[in-house]
Amino acid sequence: MAALTINNVVKNYGQGDVLKGINIAINSGEFLILVGPSGCGKSTLMNMIAGLETVTSGEILMGDDDVTNVEPKDRDIAMVFQSYALYPNMSVAENIAFGLEIRKVPKDERMKEVQRVAKLLQIEHLLDRKPGQLSGGQRQRVAMGRALARRPRLYLFDEPLSNLDAKLRVEMRTEIKKLHQNLGTTIVYVTHDQIEAMTLADRIAVMKDGIVQQFGTPQEIYDNPANQFVAGFMGSPAMNFIPCRLVGKGTEIMAEVQDAFGKVQYLPVPNPQALASMSGKDVILGLRPEKITEPLQHKEHEPLIRHLQLKVLVTEPTGADTMLVSELNGEQVDCRVGPRFGVKPGEITDLMLDMSLAVFFDPETGARIDQ
Amino acid sequence: MVEAPMTPVRQLARYGLYAVLALVAFIYLMPLWVMIITSLKDTEEIRTGNLLALPGSFNFDAWVAAWSSACTGGTCEGISTYFFNSFQIVIPAVLVSTLLGAVNGYVLSFWRFRGSELMFGLLLVGCFIPLQVMLLPMARSLAFFGLANTTTGLVIVHVIVGSGFTTMFFRNFYIGLPQELIKAARLDGAGFFFIFRRIVLPLSTPIIVVTLIWQFTQIWNDFLLGVVFSGAETQPVTVALNNLVNTSFGGKQYNVDMAAALIAALPTLFVYVLAGKYFVRGLTAGAVKG
Repeated sequence: MAALTINNVVKNYGQGDVLKGINIAINSGEFLILVGPSGCGKSTLMNMIAGLETVTSGEILMGDDDVTNVEPKDRDIAMVFQSYALYPNMSVAENIAFGLEIRKVPKDERMKEVQRVAKLLQIEHLLDRKPGQLSGGQRQRVAMGRALARRPRLYLFDEPLSNLDAKLRVEMRTEIKKLHQNLGTTIVYVTHDQIEAMTLADRIAVMKDGIVQQFGTPQEIYDNPANQFVAGFMGSPAMNFIPCRLVGKGTEIMAEVQDAFGKVQYLPVPNPQALASMSGKDVILGLRPEKITEPLQHKEHEPLIRHLQLKVLVTEPTGADTMLVSELNGEQVDCRVGPRFGVKPGEITDLMLDMSLAVFFDPETGARIDQ
Repeated sequence: MVEAPMTPVRQLARYGLYAVLALVAFIYLMPLWVMIITSLKDTEEIRTGNLLALPGSFNFDAWVAAWSSACTGGTCEGISTYFFNSFQIVIPAVLVSTLLGAVNGYVLSFWRFRGSELMFGLLLVGCFIPLQVMLLPMARSLAFFGLANTTTGLVIVHVIVGSGFTTMFFRNFYIGLPQELIKAARLDGAGFFFIFRRIVLPLSTPIIVVTLIWQFTQIWNDFLLGVVFSGAETQPVTVALNNLVNTSFGGKQYNVDMAAALIAALPTLFVYVLAGKYFVRGLTAGAVKG
């Protein structure tokens, strides 16, 4: 059953549309992430789901109920804010119980619920403290506890981890994922961090300029981006964009590149039918860094594997693997090689290109052209 | 911050600073000192003695006279009745204008509507319209409602005049509170007044104290509105003090004048001393990261 349906929603503050016809639907129990650069409209959309912003046109449904013009308090939604927004004059227990108190839940039941939530989040020892006496991570937990206490139909998370330091952020990310798996709640989560988006989401809506650029599962979005923006935004380090020309070689169509010696090489494309009519056209080849590696024995026999002699400009060891910065058709490319692949800056080395997930974009519009 | 080490030059500069501060304090406290010692002298000693000299003997007759028997215009009953009149005016006027300011500020900060900024701008203009401009229209309105020369009428005038300032105080304080607190409460299901009572008011202690002190001082010290809009029975102490000083039978009784002025000033002094303690800061620490 669809837990949340957003139908052609538009937001206009008077100077052009901030959101230009958003369509998203998720099922009960799904984890939806709205991700995009700042100013893309993701927070506005979340506030509209919460009822804190009015909808200019379109409709928002929860289950089968049209909530487009329903007051926030009647939507049965809980929200975790970036700043946590804990009530500073109340203790942790009172913060968690506040929503229940308003809904006139009897006191002993409230206390029971506070205990349940506190246990779930391991904040039982903090219940009597005021928010001012808590650390950032503890406040984060209390804010989540406040949302969990009411068992609402929908949870909204507005960049909840962005105020935490890097280590704590990774820990809390895992906790949120665990909570979602254990409780089966429906969550809408806003972030600008594409790693959070990939790790947490069941489905991701990548937004830019008030438009959903792509809506799909994390793997779909990673492997099969709808356009160059999505391809570049998702993934770290970002996808390589290599300008090249498509040429017909007999019945085949190939991408033309130059290796370190200036010698022209031809790379196969995964979906030649879609590009058949594009022979002679300049395009952008998108290839993720992990698809350019040192020669790997076990992949040699695969059909879309090619080797190129490339010059190494910089090496950046991360421990687990090493990023090489090289150059292809005048554009810098990142390559991911094993940590023991001994190569020094300035050397020319043999690298393996796996073209099975290569994607192609129109250099003018950034649109996918090989689907 | 680490303090720089005390070099002789810095030491000297520090003493210079203290000297300037002491001088300024002296200049400010001198009139109060003269008032106090004059109120404790008798008329003879005032006439013959030095203005700054200590009284020969402490004599509270002038204070008693100012309180209960000095003549203020037609009657000779001291300023005690008017002192209590002032309380009857000040207490309701301060409470109502503060509450009104709090609600206004809450709306203007968290429940913006089309034109709310304009509304706030107009309220600010209202703060700076000279009182004299309002006297006639206000008098006509009070007469129309049958409130001329009553305490209620004067309280209403003070509330109207003061709520521009109190609104500004609360609005500027609330604008610094995180909007997300209100959003969170709305999603928790709380309504307009529930949020005000349970979330916003408990965080307002510092600004409530500031507003109370400001309003109390303003209304207690007011003379113009008091002299225009009160009747003979409902005059505030400031008007009575003026009448007392201007009424003279025989020689000028400076000691009684000074004692009456000190009595009239005591409540505002008292409010500063008492309420200053409750000037709580940083109550919202912990609402947001920080």
